[in-house]
Amino acid sequence: MWRTRLHLLHMLTGVLIASLLGIHLVILHLDAILGFFGVAATEPTSWQSMITRASQGIWAGLYIALLAFVLYHALYGLRGVILEVTTSAKTERIITWSFIIVGIIAFIWGAYVPVALLSS
Amino acid sequence: MKQILPRQNYLGAGGWVWAGNYQLERYLYILHRITGLGILFFGLIHLTMTTFFRIQGQDVWEATIALLTNPWFKIGEYLVAVAFVYHALNGLRLILQGLGFVLGKPTPPIYPYKDALRKKRPWTMAMVAVIVILALVFLFDFTVGGW
Repeated sequence: MWRTRLHLLHMLTGVLIASLLGIHLVILHLDAILGFFGVAATEPTSWQSMITRASQGIWAGLYIALLAFVLYHALYGLRGVILEVTTSAKTERIITWSFIIVGIIAFIWGAYVPVALLSS
Repeated sequence: MKQILPRQNYLGAGGWVWAGNYQLERYLYILHRITGLGILFFGLIHLTMTTFFRIQGQDVWEATIALLTNPWFKIGEYLVAVAFVYHALNGLRLILQGLGFVLGKPTPPIYPYKDALRKKRPWTMAMVAVIVILALVFLFDFTVGGW
């Protein structure tokens, strides 16, 4: 049963990532088209713009949530691809646990930075 | 007594690219994985940039952004954007089909009947059309917005 739940979570995180990163891509890359529709194009990658966002709790929260969704979705997806070439239950366990550990380390480091930048 | 072995149809690494009789959808699925791995690779670079380089202050951040305005990075960025559009829309189609939303009405299997794959084919074609349009929209903005 838990495998089905993991797959359902993979679908759910996929939809969430598609929505959040869709907005991210439109704001970052479609500035000429947004300008045509009257949305003022700013420079989101400038230090000033970036650090203003980094000091707001809502953005830090969004970054951390997105990080969790992306890490789960990416690592679960890669695990699925890799597990197709093995039939051994032991290898499956090793791969699963390695991915869980890598995911947790990446999450802790990736979540630490937005929290540390909140006070900057 | 004949022993039934588990996963006798196991294909190994060849199974990653073997499409059999599954036609277009199976190739889209292979592309789904390739784009997924590409986005994962980009994600590693992106995470490094927004953590290691972002936390080191204004100078390091601006130097990193300056490095990323290199035309090769811009071309890479466009490819990642298109890969994302593909992966997101194909994923959405897979979710809708997997959960049974676009199966259509059940019909009696009287010749000439349509199999499930052909019943779903219009959705697949519509998705491919939307992806191509969005890829062109992004290409337009990348060209107009300056590479």
